Amino acid sequence: MAKVKNWHLGRDMEYVYEENRPKRQWSIVFDLNKCIGCQTCSMACKTTWTSGKGQESMFWNNVETKPWGSYPLGWDVKVLEKLGHQEWKKHEPYRGKTIFEAAEPTETTVHFFPTDEDWMYPNNGEDDCTGNVSHGTHLNLPHDQWFFYLPRTCAHCTYPACLAACPRKAIYKRPEDGIVLIDQSRCKGYGECVRSCPYKKSMYNPYTRTSEKCIGCYPAVEQGYQPMCVQNCIGKIRVMGFINPPWKARKDNPVDYLVHQMGLALPYYPQLGLEPNIYYIPPIHANREYLTQMFGPKVDDAIKQYKKIKDDPRTQGLLVLLGSTDRIMHSFDVKHGVAYGYDEKGDEIVSVPVIEHSYERPRYDSKYEAVRNNTP
Amino acid sequence: MCGSCTNPFVQIYPRTPLDRIFDTKGDIEVIAGVSNKLADLLGESRMKEMWKDASGEGVHVYLQNIIDHSANLKGYHSKELEKKAQEGIPALVNSRTYPRYSSLEQARSEEKWHTKSGRLEFYRPEVEFIDSGENMLVYREPVDSTPYEPNVIVAKNHEAIRPKKPSDYGLRESDLSVENRQVRNVIKTGPALLNTQHPLRLKLHTHVYHTPKYRHGAHSTTVDTDYTSVWFGPFGDVYRHDKRMPSVVEGYMDINPLDAKALGVEDGDYVYVDADPEDRPYRGFKPTDDFYEVARLMLRARYYPGTPRGIARTWHNMYGSTIGSVQGQKIREDGLARSPETNYQSMYRYGSHQSATRAWLRPTLMTETLVHKGMFGQGIGKGFEADIHCPVGAPREAFVRITKAEQGGFENQKLWRPAALGFRPTYENPGMKTYLKGRFIHG
Repeated sequence: MAKVKNWHLGRDMEYVYEENRPKRQWSIVFDLNKCIGCQTCSMACKTTWTSGKGQESMFWNNVETKPWGSYPLGWDVKVLEKLGHQEWKKHEPYRGKTIFEAAEPTETTVHFFPTDEDWMYPNNGEDDCTGNVSHGTHLNLPHDQWFFYLPRTCAHCTYPACLAACPRKAIYKRPEDGIVLIDQSRCKGYGECVRSCPYKKSMYNPYTRTSEKCIGCYPAVEQGYQPMCVQNCIGKIRVMGFINPPWKARKDNPVDYLVHQMGLALPYYPQLGLEPNIYYIPPIHANREYLTQMFGPKVDDAIKQYKKIKDDPRTQGLLVLLGSTDRIMHSFDVKHGVAYGYDEKGDEIVSVPVIEHSYERPRYDSKYEAVRNNTP
Repeated sequence: MCGSCTNPFVQIYPRTPLDRIFDTKGDIEVIAGVSNKLADLLGESRMKEMWKDASGEGVHVYLQNIIDHSANLKGYHSKELEKKAQEGIPALVNSRTYPRYSSLEQARSEEKWHTKSGRLEFYRPEVEFIDSGENMLVYREPVDSTPYEPNVIVAKNHEAIRPKKPSDYGLRESDLSVENRQVRNVIKTGPALLNTQHPLRLKLHTHVYHTPKYRHGAHSTTVDTDYTSVWFGPFGDVYRHDKRMPSVVEGYMDINPLDAKALGVEDGDYVYVDADPEDRPYRGFKPTDDFYEVARLMLRARYYPGTPRGIARTWHNMYGSTIGSVQGQKIREDGLARSPETNYQSMYRYGSHQSATRAWLRPTLMTETLVHKGMFGQGIGKGFEADIHCPVGAPREAFVRITKAEQGGFENQKLWRPAALGFRPTYENPGMKTYLKGRFIHG
């Protein structure tokens, strides 16, 4: 076991391999306040990557309703239950154990293996709210009864449990972008990655007899384009970019800005110890204890920050850039009411007005001899 | 070409270079085909000439015609719109403002409202409305979907509300039969209504059953492919572990867990849903009819804490059963509810959400007297107009009885698996209870 730095936990932790951060790290930020659970991302992924034999029930990207939804069934409940109650005080490093630290001496992680049947109802729990709604119920913040949608891809973790557990060393993390891949020619389908990944984002294909997972759409990323799930998000809730660790954070990097500069976006289940690289702007209407369990004790500050966006044109500008370009934005700026996204060379790839303007046309267009009407 | 007055963009779907996979035809080709045939049969050559450009590049003639006669599109060229669309650029619909505010011209008093008086009207002087007691704003109970006396006008006595009484139509005051209660005008106050009962409560009907549109689909788009179907609700399973499933997905009814328990229904059980037996699932049915099982609705019950007690819901986007689909289940080895003759695939084992619902044709619908905006343009129309003055009553609701049909589990399991394992509302295992409270992390 090596000592590695996990900034999500604010402390060092034990991991199988030495700390070896990639040159840059693939990352997605999701604004959960805007996800409507339409599954367009799931379909974009499915039709691109997993329409083959043995992949029928496989969704590298899925959206589940929280708290009742889960794919595979009960994945996070089971992992948290195996790990047991853990302590994490506000503004302090995580005191509890990670899945690596809590593992039995002969094991790499605290784990469980989902059965075939656990994968069978991908939308189990859809739209179920926490408790009974009765006549006269009305809305407060946070809501008395609530649910939210949690879109999930592989988190291409800094300390992947799949990679740590693979007995064949078939899993590797690419130094150029941090994407974690399973080498299909080395994989023998032992399923140790399926067992160890606490997020259950490594999946077994009974036809090829190998394990498969989200590949971060690396062929698109290599060309400077965002993954299919991000490009196709109709709610414009996602942005893919490259995240730096906090000691190298850049204010003009969209992901760094949301995660480090503003503290708006948080990793999910950071206590598991993988330093996952998908980040969520937490939903402001859900129960705070539940959100703390999922996103850690910084969730209160993130929500406080979110509520200030109405007075913050720069953050507003970045949020309207989400979903406004298929290209990967390496930096952004907001000037004179317009938000701009730039590629790696600093060339402009997109510009969007922060507030959409209204226009009025003349009632009669003499050039085209047309009457313009709002009730046609 | 795709556009509507509620969508700010107009776009022409760019032509694909790929050949059609199946022998399908576009709408205009179908119309042209029919018209060509009629031309031959009737010896009327104009019917052929009308559509002579309907295939290939000539289709732009017709698109341009639509554009030229549309106030808010006039000025565009269809070929340019297609070229732009190929690059992913839509064009704006040139309504008076962007974004479009409905009725802007009327709200600013530039133009009149599309009513008899040209003003906003909150009263209806037409005789049908006076006779129905709806000449002023009143609330009416639904004709069917209420636990109380149906179709009651809920109001205090008012001298201007003078509907024709049941006796004026030669009906008994107490006649609540399914057809006659559509036209029954009885006025009651709110508190008096609450002391009444729907006649079907005596037959153990308990739930208002509504069948609204699903939020992420139009028509059947949510279930048109297997991969979208498996996301349609909580019972989608692409491998159909439970071979009773009619498809990779199946219809279900959301019901409050406390209601379900009172009815002896577990989460995931199959239930029968029966509406008024006077006319549903069809008039004059006998339980011994062969067709009865095809028409009677059976589907999964899903515990859904988000629906209030007394209300149940099924999304209406699913393909219903047919004689063929029910036969398919019985004779196909895989048990799919798919017609052996046509391959029609049902998402229900028996019946459909429409087994419980019907249209209600109230006298105030589809009148010959009501004035309204014309379908196209700014003119005024009178009487029936498609999409404007049509029956809207409550064809998607019913008052129903729910009874358990089969247990939800399969292979000798009593309970549906997610419930049996403690991951469903009211069945929570200890880990789930801790998880819901967020207690796995403490400060």
